[in-house]
Amino acid sequence: MSAAREMLCDTARAVLAGASDIAPVEEAGFALLLVAEEGGGFGGDWGDAHAVLHIAGMSAPNIPVAAVILSGLGDVSMPHRAAATVSLMAGAMGQALALSIDHVNTRQQFGRPLGKFQAVQQSLAVMACEVAAVDAAAAAMAARLDASGFDADAAVFEIAAAKLRANRAVGVVTSIAHQVHGAIGFTEEYDLHRVTIPLMRWRGEHGNDAHWAQALGRQVAVLGGRGLWESLTARAG
Amino acid sequence: MQSFALYPFDPPGDVAALRADLRGWLAVNQPVDDIVARANCWASFDPDFSRALGAAGYVGMTLPAIYGGGDRHPLERYVVIEELLAAGAPVGAHWIADRQTGPLILRYGSDEQRERYLPGIAKGELYACIGLSEPGAGSDLAAVRTSARETAEGWRINGQKIWTTGAHFSHIMLALVRTEEGSERNAGLSQLLIDLDTPGITIRPIIDMAGNHDFNEVFFDDVLVPHGALVGTRGQGWKQVTAELGLERSGPERYLSSHALLVALIDAAGADPEPAIAGVIGKLTAEMWTLRQLSMSTAAKLAAGEDPMVEASVVKELGNAFEQDMPRRVQAIVDCAWDDKADLARLLRALLIASPSFSLRGGTREVIRGIIARGLGLR
Ligand SMILES: Cc1cc2nc3c(=O)[nH]c(=O)nc-3n(C[C@H](O)[C@H](O)[C@H](O)COP(=O)(O)OP(=O)(O)OC[C@H]3O[C@@H](n4cnc5c(N)ncnc54)[C@H](O)[C@@H]3O)c2cc1C
Repeated sequence: MSAAREMLCDTARAVLAGASDIAPVEEAGFALLLVAEEGGGFGGDWGDAHAVLHIAGMSAPNIPVAAVILSGLGDVSMPHRAAATVSLMAGAMGQALALSIDHVNTRQQFGRPLGKFQAVQQSLAVMACEVAAVDAAAAAMAARLDASGFDADAAVFEIAAAKLRANRAVGVVTSIAHQVHGAIGFTEEYDLHRVTIPLMRWRGEHGNDAHWAQALGRQVAVLGGRGLWESLTARAG
Repeated sequence: MQSFALYPFDPPGDVAALRADLRGWLAVNQPVDDIVARANCWASFDPDFSRALGAAGYVGMTLPAIYGGGDRHPLERYVVIEELLAAGAPVGAHWIADRQTGPLILRYGSDEQRERYLPGIAKGELYACIGLSEPGAGSDLAAVRTSARETAEGWRINGQKIWTTGAHFSHIMLALVRTEEGSERNAGLSQLLIDLDTPGITIRPIIDMAGNHDFNEVFFDDVLVPHGALVGTRGQGWKQVTAELGLERSGPERYLSSHALLVALIDAAGADPEPAIAGVIGKLTAEMWTLRQLSMSTAAKLAAGEDPMVEASVVKELGNAFEQDMPRRVQAIVDCAWDDKADLARLLRALLIASPSFSLRGGTREVIRGIIARGLGLR
């Protein structure tokens, strides 16, 4: 990560840590993140937006950070909003995993931490794979948006694939996170629902599974079987 | 490893030209084989093709030129193998030698071993097999009992390996054996490079449930190999094998083995598919694209000299699940009889039957999840 992005992330963490509404995010100038320097903005790229939204998904999923960041672009399309949501989802899933690991290492039953039981270990491994997949999808989608100069039409393949992949991870991640937490995770007081409820909400926003599966499936059908591979490899790598 | 830092996949040189050259070469040289052979193609044995591929410079690409290699970057090799797999080329004969045995000999082998084996590997003419599993040592690999005793003439080997893919056409086996008498578990193990034409070795086929002869039992009855057969450091076999498995788990073969089926589904569906089929194509594509990102990132991390043991396991776990799920999803929406002769139907049947092995070979699902759990700090 570049030094500039490192600093940006530090700022985002500090601003979002205790935030209870959007005011501090606006005051910190996140609406200017994607605005070009010539236009008086920060001149950030989509990778920067992704990094900030990842943090927002982790620590402030109920504050409309994505809307503030996207406002800098003026007219944004539904795929842009879907893309921003994927980054939030990646962050929230990372947080659900972190909370789960923490919990199973501390909570003891049968005289041992839960994390020492193989069934629990295997569940968390499954969850970690989903989180890794969404992280990779989100990062690759962001890279594509940067390569296309934020053009969501040119990046619609990656946005569709990433949002669909993230949507599909929601069920696995939320159910395992809640399962390993037991009853405490079902309480108002405990933090888990602060990420799992937003994940449930985001799955249906800016394109649910059926929407993006159709969109992507139809794009691919036009490419044809071999065309899919040629298109994938021509787009990146 | 809680967060999967994406390593940029950035091979040196002109990647587009590398792809185009290889595609052009394949258009002329890829045998016109049955579509079923194009699936799971890293199990398709075709020495003529391997030799031609080697002559064209696409085998042993990362080995040094002094050993006949291509001196290329590991990510250039990655590009080549993903193209070969996507095209369903029959790469099975040289696959293991090119993927892991060659690199391992380069890293741990003696000069003599390098000179003796690497040129043949780079030509696509010398094939290798992996001698890890034994009847009593499957998931529990540290239970290996095949022994090698050091004598004045060399190492004397007794014991048995099993499930050895390609032993019947391979020239060498890289075997994990117990060199220290009385040692236990992962201590006292070493790797030996064994010429399979050495007297005392018996190779017996095991026919798999698809009716194919891919794996074997290999018996060692007082087999004498020279002192120079030891690879790397005596007693460090466990550590070396672990490094070898890293090369084995994260490659594009973990999500492209069944690519032929996705291609066939897309082609059969046509440009204007019905919604149910479009939806399945969309979901499979999203998964495949994501796996490609994970696999490329892991390859980049490996190429940067790091040890992405956990990431490699993530690729294998998700790749296996994807490839086992794909034929089931296709069967659920495509109407075809079990003994239908159409390409799609035959491919589907072959992959339904082959797919249980995906989460067994190269480490079982449970073992892989255990490695990931350890990476999460749970073990
Ligand atoms: C197609 C194919 C090709 C192969 N090629 C090779 C090869 O070239 N060279 C080679 O050396 N080997 C090869 N193998 C062998 C492969 O590595 C083993 O099958 C694998 O390591 C599992 O060992 P096993 O079959 O003895 O199963 P077992 O170890 O008996 O396991 C059976 C089941 O129990 C589970 N299990 C075992 N222990 C535990 C535990 N502690 N906790 C939870 N679950 C557990 C396993 O995950 C598995 O699901 C191949 C296998 C296949 C299917």
